[in-house]
Amino acid sequence: MFLRRLHLRQFRNYTDQKVQFEAQKTILVGNNAQGKSNLLEAVELLATLNSHRTSRDRDLVQNEQTTGQITATVERKHSTIELGILLRKQGRRTLKLNTETLRRQMEFLGQVNAVQFSGLDLDLVRGGPEIRRNWLDALVIQLEPVYAYILQQYNQVLRQRNALLRRLKQEEMRSLSEGEKMQLALWDSQLAANGSRVTRRRARVLGRLVPIAQEWHRLISGAKEQLEIHYTPNVPWTQDNPEQVQQAFLSKIEQRRTAEKYQGRTVVGTHRDEIELVINNTPARAYGSQGQQRTLVLALKLAELKLIEEVIGEPPLLLLDDVLAELDPNRQNQLLEAIQGRFQTLITATHINAFDAQWLNASQIFSVAAGEVSNF
Amino acid sequence: MTAYTPPLARLIEQLQKLPGVGPKTAQRLALHILKQSEDDVEALAQAILAAKKQVGFCQTCFHLSADKTCPICRDQQRDNKTICVVTDSRDVIALEKTREYHGKYHVLGGVISPMDGIGPDQLNVQPLVRRASFPEVEEVILAISPSVEGETTTLYLGQLLRPFVRVTQIAFGLPMGGDLEYADEVTLARALEGRRELVNS
Ligand SMILES: Nc1ncnc2c1ncn2[C@@H]1O[C@H](COP(=O)(O)OP(=O)(O)O)[C@@H](O)[C@H]1O
Ligand SMILES: [Mg+2]
Ligand SMILES: [Zn+2]
Repeated sequence: MFLRRLHLRQFRNYTDQKVQFEAQKTILVGNNAQGKSNLLEAVELLATLNSHRTSRDRDLVQNEQTTGQITATVERKHSTIELGILLRKQGRRTLKLNTETLRRQMEFLGQVNAVQFSGLDLDLVRGGPEIRRNWLDALVIQLEPVYAYILQQYNQVLRQRNALLRRLKQEEMRSLSEGEKMQLALWDSQLAANGSRVTRRRARVLGRLVPIAQEWHRLISGAKEQLEIHYTPNVPWTQDNPEQVQQAFLSKIEQRRTAEKYQGRTVVGTHRDEIELVINNTPARAYGSQGQQRTLVLALKLAELKLIEEVIGEPPLLLLDDVLAELDPNRQNQLLEAIQGRFQTLITATHINAFDAQWLNASQIFSVAAGEVSNF
Repeated sequence: MTAYTPPLARLIEQLQKLPGVGPKTAQRLALHILKQSEDDVEALAQAILAAKKQVGFCQTCFHLSADKTCPICRDQQRDNKTICVVTDSRDVIALEKTREYHGKYHVLGGVISPMDGIGPDQLNVQPLVRRASFPEVEEVILAISPSVEGETTTLYLGQLLRPFVRVTQIAFGLPMGGDLEYADEVTLARALEGRRELVNS
């Protein structure tokens, strides 16, 4: 797929900016705080309807404005499509595909695919389990857009079940009435039904990603390091079958009944899953240098790229935010070789001299200053 | 806002509290009302007050009604054997528009939602259980939107009613953002026709 045109109106620090992409590689150069990451963020939103920098639309709308807009023309294998996101400081987004207003997020997702790689991604190794869950979830959404809906349902069940547990905790001196038990049982089975969908999809996607990531990791590390990735769901299961997985949830809920009663919240479920990254039998977080952790993140990103291409049947976009300069020459080359000409790549940098001449020749170069994009 | 004299500002403020009415619409409506004759404005104000004072709930099905028993419940032509359970009165109106359903209704008055402090006791569940146990009732159709809360309510009513009556669920496709109100008539008619036995999940 190829992002041909991008039009940002009242988005972040862009007032009204059109960008026309002409080459497989685009380099955006500019000082800090000029709008380079903002532009990549717009593409990320088109691909996932999420920004890794904020969850509030009011941050995305230009200051002093009430609405902002991202529109794009994307050339896909069999068709050219127009996408539009209207963001409001208050209220819901409006999503458009060609001229039609869409009612479901699901229909918008999957029109553009992108893999984002920024300096922040080291948190994948160093940060808490939530960061890794969010990363995996974002990938599953791109591969299976219905997962966005499944996740939303799961989170809603969680909020409702927590509200019920919180209320019952206030009555902890007495045992539950029959009616209360029946109500709790309803939410138990909702948690099991929705949690089973979440965990099975996570496991399935990770199962396909891991071998690709291991392969890349071997290549980049020169076969010196052995990467393992373990999915450790909060509710373990062995047979990939909805009834069995739901049964595993219900058993664990029963087992943790007292803990949930005293804490007044849900302690069983996929919101407590972990994805363990292990290098040479040691947790990656504790292992090795920053360089080695970068190798790991790079392997994960390259694996995402390849897996999306495999599943979607078209190469996704690659967004490299300030990371190229952080990689040593060897890793830079690995990355460039992996991308070759296949993936449309948007790269940000503060200095043009971070790139070798061959690269510069093959790229379209823009400079970004104070929310304006111009030819370099 | 200083551009409005206080009584006008108060009117705009009140209108703006209505669903779907923003500041611009509120201003347009208010200015329109001021242009109308005093009689027309009087009639509007009376109609609002009278509706509020006179309209309550049907004792049987809890649909909005000015009488103790609503016209649908009173209608001898309608089939007594089926009861269609919906969330609120808007859904009754949407289903009536299809003219495909000839049974009776039961309005729950909401869905189970612990976050909003709504459990079965806050809904019209007990009267439904009583009605469903009458010998002439053969089928209860659950037509509750497939949100998380709606599904949970459906599950609950299924467990409660299945021991003594046939319980079916109307066939929603993928979620349509929730409300029966927004489904078109053809979709609704198909959903009714394609209803299926409620299974315990
Ligand atoms: N909602 C907004 N309205 C106007 N300006 C914004 C908004 N959000 C961020 N900015 C501005 O965007 C700039 C940061 O842009 P960014 O793309 O992150 O910089 P960089 O070029 O370093 O990647 C800052 O100057 C910030 O003030
Ligand atoms: Mg930046
Ligand atoms: Zn009635």
